[in-house]
Amino acid sequence: MDWIAVGLKEDVPPGFVIPSRIADTELAVWCSPSGTYHAWSDRCPHRGMRLSHGFVRGETLACIYHGWQYNEAGSCHYIPAHPKLTPPDTICVPTYRCIEAGGVIWVSLTETDTPLPALGGRRTVRSLPVSMSAPDLAAHFGAAGFTTIAVVSDHDVLLAVQPCTDGECMIHALAAPDADRSAVSHWLEDLRATLERVPA
Amino acid sequence: MILYDYVLSASCYKVRLMAALLGTPLTLRAVNFHPGREHKSPEMLALNPKGTLPILTDGDTVLTDSADILRHLTADHPEWRSTDDDRWLAFASALNASLGLARLHDVIGYDADIDKARAAGVAALRTLEAHLTEQRFDGLIFLTGSKPTIADIACFPNIALAPDGGVSLDPYPSVRLWMRAIRSLPGFIEMPGIHRLHELAHPV
Repeated sequence: MDWIAVGLKEDVPPGFVIPSRIADTELAVWCSPSGTYHAWSDRCPHRGMRLSHGFVRGETLACIYHGWQYNEAGSCHYIPAHPKLTPPDTICVPTYRCIEAGGVIWVSLTETDTPLPALGGRRTVRSLPVSMSAPDLAAHFGAAGFTTIAVVSDHDVLLAVQPCTDGECMIHALAAPDADRSAVSHWLEDLRATLERVPA
Repeated sequence: MILYDYVLSASCYKVRLMAALLGTPLTLRAVNFHPGREHKSPEMLALNPKGTLPILTDGDTVLTDSADILRHLTADHPEWRSTDDDRWLAFASALNASLGLARLHDVIGYDADIDKARAAGVAALRTLEAHLTEQRFDGLIFLTGSKPTIADIACFPNIALAPDGGVSLDPYPSVRLWMRAIRSLPGFIEMPGIHRLHELAHPV
């Protein structure tokens, strides 16, 4: 699978964790205090709590339920109820490839040699949900895929599309660096209204 | 001041939260809203013929609208007011019929057209997200500016409790950052379904 945008850098500052997803794979996306982005399976191996409900402490992500802390490799390194225990290596969270580039947080669920999508010097504007599937949205623009879709428009908009469910996707929008972001935001609202009126 | 209160009510929480942020003491009088329907009892109807909560009494003054109560609590706190508050107070009241109704349907079995309530809730969240995103373009985090006002406190409970009514907050990054800013305010208090920021409770 290609790189998929799961959020914008400015929406996930250092010390933040957010829930996200790529189709059926639920993700906890978090940024360490030093600014490194991570995308993990959104389940604590202990009791299955969503790690996106958790919190960043130092360079670890902690589960809200029992406070188990996972280091940046996804390995459990501290269990508060057993402070002297060195947790075994088997307690670890499935991790995915995650890179921030051009203000966009990109995730690949599989190992990949595919280069990150080119953004053409555009800057990020905002993310917004659209009630249609990612393939349907790509088809609307006649695009072969939905990783990024360049839209002919006044603002030179580029859409990075995140498949969420059969009826929902997120679009992460970028535009020309000198574009008025409020104007682009309004344009995106209009685009969404148009897209959602398209019969399935 | 006495607040006739129900712990699971989003509108009662607005009042408790505002008072906590101001450091204003409230005397709480718990009302058995569910399952007791005490808010419809003769004693409560004598106080508030509408039969709703919250009710705030301050001497001879009786207030039964949460927006009016927020204005009353902040009458001597101009830092919590903005000329832009009124339209967001109206927006907050309207949330009772969308996200608020969906939550009461799911949590305590209110009769509702749940699909319609959730769809109206999503529309409201989109409106809020668009506004907060534009605020962020100007470097502002709150609804009316760089500081919170009664507008933020009025909108916060029903928005933050949306998942209780089956409406996800996941796709709204600006709403998430705004909620975090409110939860970070000195004096912030919780209610069931809205927890404090754990990372602030026990800093490293």
